[in-house]
Amino acid sequence: MSNFIKKLFGTLAEKPWEKEQAAIDSYHSGKTFNLSSQTSAVIVIFGISTVLFSLILTGYLYTIPPEQDTKFLFRPNLLWVNTIVLFFVTYFFNKITKDLKKNNTAKIKKNLILVGGLSYLFLFGQIFFWYQLMQDEKFVYTNTYFSSFYIFTALHGLHLLGGLFFWGKVCSKTLKLKQHDVISQKKSLSALSLYWTFLLIVWLIFFLVIYVFNDAFIAWCKAVLT
Amino acid sequence: MSEDFNDSKTIQAQSSETISGGGATPTPDIDYVRPAELPDQDLYHGHSFITKWVFCQDAKVIGVQYFLLATFTGIIGLILSWLMRLQLGFPGAAGFMTAEHYYQFVTMHGMIMVVYFLTALFLGGFGNYLIPLMTGARDMVFPYVNMVSFWMFFVAVGVLLASFFVPGGPTGSGWTLYPPQAILEGTPGSGMGIILMCVSLILFVAGFTMGGLNYLITVLQARTRGMTLMRMPLTVWGIFTATVLAMLAFPALLVSALMMTLDKVLETSFFMPTILKAGEVLEYGGGTPILFQHLFWFFGHPEVYIVALPAFGIISDLISVHSRKNIFGYRMMVWAIVVIGALSFFVWAHHMYVSGMHPWFGFFFATTTLIIAVPTAMKVYNWVLTLWRGNIRLNTVMLWCLGFIVTFVNGGITGIFLGNVTVDVPLSDTYFVVAHFHMVMGIAPLMVIMGAVYHWFPLVAGRMLSEKLGKWHFWITFLGAYSIYFPMHYLGFIGVPRRYFEMYDSPYITSAVGMNQFISTAAFIVGAAQFILIYNIIVSLKIGKPAGKNPWQANSLEWLTPTVPPEHGNWGDKLPVVHRWPYDYSVPGAKEDFIPQTTPPSEVVETKVEKT
Repeated sequence: MSNFIKKLFGTLAEKPWEKEQAAIDSYHSGKTFNLSSQTSAVIVIFGISTVLFSLILTGYLYTIPPEQDTKFLFRPNLLWVNTIVLFFVTYFFNKITKDLKKNNTAKIKKNLILVGGLSYLFLFGQIFFWYQLMQDEKFVYTNTYFSSFYIFTALHGLHLLGGLFFWGKVCSKTLKLKQHDVISQKKSLSALSLYWTFLLIVWLIFFLVIYVFNDAFIAWCKAVLT
Repeated sequence: MSEDFNDSKTIQAQSSETISGGGATPTPDIDYVRPAELPDQDLYHGHSFITKWVFCQDAKVIGVQYFLLATFTGIIGLILSWLMRLQLGFPGAAGFMTAEHYYQFVTMHGMIMVVYFLTALFLGGFGNYLIPLMTGARDMVFPYVNMVSFWMFFVAVGVLLASFFVPGGPTGSGWTLYPPQAILEGTPGSGMGIILMCVSLILFVAGFTMGGLNYLITVLQARTRGMTLMRMPLTVWGIFTATVLAMLAFPALLVSALMMTLDKVLETSFFMPTILKAGEVLEYGGGTPILFQHLFWFFGHPEVYIVALPAFGIISDLISVHSRKNIFGYRMMVWAIVVIGALSFFVWAHHMYVSGMHPWFGFFFATTTLIIAVPTAMKVYNWVLTLWRGNIRLNTVMLWCLGFIVTFVNGGITGIFLGNVTVDVPLSDTYFVVAHFHMVMGIAPLMVIMGAVYHWFPLVAGRMLSEKLGKWHFWITFLGAYSIYFPMHYLGFIGVPRRYFEMYDSPYITSAVGMNQFISTAAFIVGAAQFILIYNIIVSLKIGKPAGKNPWQANSLEWLTPTVPPEHGNWGDKLPVVHRWPYDYSVPGAKEDFIPQTTPPSEVVETKVEKT
C-alpha cells in the first residue's frame, strides 16, 4: 500500500513538459498496473461493493434500537454451516490458483466444478435459513435488525450469483479444453478466485458483527457514542 | 507484461507511474518508443444496422447514444421547468396546474437534470466518446459490458418516464425524495410514482457501474504507448476522477433507493420512525429518516463534483486549444481535480444544517466545505492565467469558456456563503439556494457542454457548426441565464421560500411578483434558445462546412485519427505512439503554434521548452 501511495504521489509530481521527463515517458508501455483486465475489473468491483456493504452495515448500526433484543436469531443455526461451506469454496479456488501458478493442471477441472457446486450449496443454505427465520415469524419487516439481515444476505447472494454467472462462462470454456490447455484460462480463473475471497471476507465481517459478536459489538458502539 | 518484453534498450529512470516497467540506459535514439507488448484488441464489428447503430459495441456510437438520450431527457426537464416558471410567474395561466402537479414537476425536473441529463451526458456521452480516442485505445476494454451499460440507462429512463403514466403520477416529494413523506399518503406520487423512481435509480446505478468499470480500466490499463497518466489531457483526468467518485458515491444512492423501496413495498422501517396518521399508529417503527438524508447526501454532494470535474477537465482543454497556450499549472490542475474529488466525500452534511445536527458537526462540515474552495479557486486562477497573453480565438467555443468561468465564479461565491452554518440557516429553503445551485451546477456545466459540442462536433460529424448561430445561441443563453438567476438571489434575500406552489396573499408577493414574471419570461426565452443548437446541428450535418482533419489545430490524440469521423477501432492499422504532453502550443522555436502528441522529438529539435 505504501508503495502504491509512493507511486501515486511520484506520478503526480512528474513534469511532462520537460525534455528529460518526456524522454523517460516515451518508454512507457501505456499500462499502469501489471494486472490483467479481468483482475483489474474485480478490484474495481471490490471498491464499489465494499462501499455498498459498509453503508448497509452503517445503516444497521445507525438504527440499533436502545433496547436491542439479542435473542433474535436462534442459536446454534445454519449460518455456521453456510460459513464453513463458503470457506471451502475459497479454499478450493485458492488451490486452483496455486495449481495454475505451478502449471499443475491435473485437478483444476474437478476443483472448478466443486467450487460451483459448493457455491450453489451456500446459496441454498442461505435461502433455507431465510425459510427457517420466516417459519419462526422473523420477517423482513419485523424490526430493523432483520431488515438489515435480509437485505445484506440478499445483496451478498446476488454478488455470489453474479460471480456464478461468470464462473459458468469460464467453466464451460475450461471443461471443453484439453487438460494442458486449461492454463489459457489463467487470467479469468485468478480473477474469479480473487472475487470469491472478497465475498468470503465480506461475509465473515457481516457474520461476526451481526451474529457472533452481536452483543459485544453493540455494547462497543454504544460506548463509543456515549 | 514488461518482464516478457525482451528489450536491449533500457532507461535510467522511468515514469513513477509505471508500477512495473522496462529498465534502464538512455538511448541515443530520441524518437525511440517501446515496442507493443500486448496483442491488439480484438473488436466485434457489427455489420447489420442493428449491430452497428443500435446494439453497438463501439464506444463512440455508445457515447452518441448516451448523448442523444440524455439530451432527450434534458428537454423533458426543460419543458417541466417552463411549466413551473409559468406557474410561478403567472399563477393560474396553465389551467391544469395543481399544487400536486407543481411538486411532481419540481421533483422530476431536479432528478432528470442532475442524474439523467448531466451525469449521463458528461460520463456516458463525453466519457465514451473521448476516453478511448484521447488515450489512444481502440475501444473500451469491455465493449459488450459498455453496450449493456447504455441499454440499462435506456431502461432506467423508460421506467422513470413511465411514472408519468401510472395512477397518482410521478413522485412529488422533491428531488431529494426525503422519507417519510415520500412514501406516505398525501404526497403526490407516493404509490407507484416513488417505486418507479427508486427502481429507475437502481437500474441507472447498475448500468452506470458497468460503464464506469470500463472508463476506469481503459484509462488505467489500455492507454497507448508513451501515454503516461501525466500526459493525459485534463478532460480524461476529469472524467476519470469523476468516475472514481461515482463508483464510490452511487452505492449510497443504490442503498437508499433499495431501502426506500423496501420501506414502501414490504413495510420495513429503515427510514421510518413510529408514525401517527389521523390518530392511528402506522405499522412502521424503529428507523430514522435522518439515515436517508446521510445516505442521500453522501451520494448527493459528490454528485456535484461528478458533474463538475469532467466540466473542469473539458474547459481546461478548450481554453488551452483556443487560446493557443499550454494550460497554466498542469500539475496543479491534476492535483486540484484529485484533491477536490477526495474532499467531496467529507462535505455532505452541509446539506443538512437544518436537520437538527449537533453544532460541532455543522462546524466540521462548514470547515471542510470552505477548504474545498481552495483547489477550486486555484483552477479558476489557472484558467484565467492560461488566457493571459494567449493568442485568443474569440470563437463560439471560447465564448462558452468565458461564460463558464464567470458563471462558475458567481455560483461558487454564493456557495461560500451557504457553506457557513450561520449564513445558511436563514437562507436555507429560499430562492438564494435555488439560484446558487443552478448557477454552479446547472448553467456552468451546461456552458461547458455547449462549448464541448461546438468544439468536438467537427470530429463527430466531419462538419463545422455555424459560428453565427453559435454566437446567437451563446449570447441569448448567457444574458438570459443571468436574467433568471441574478434576481433569484434577491428573492432569496427577501425570504421568498422555494418549493411554494403559489405565494397567495403573503407580503412577499408585492416585491416578488414583478420579478417572478421577469424571471419566467427570461426562462422561456433561454429555454427556446437551446433549440438554436438543435437547428444548427441538423442544418450543419447537411450543409455545414467540411471540417477536414484537426480544424482547431489541436494536439490531443482524438484529432489525429486516420479518418474523420474516426472509424470503429479508431486508429486504422497502427495504434498511435505518444511523444509528448498535449499542451505544446506556441512553443518557442516551433514552425507552427501546435505540436501534436504524436510528433516525435526529431521533427521539432529546434524548439525550446516553455517552463510553466
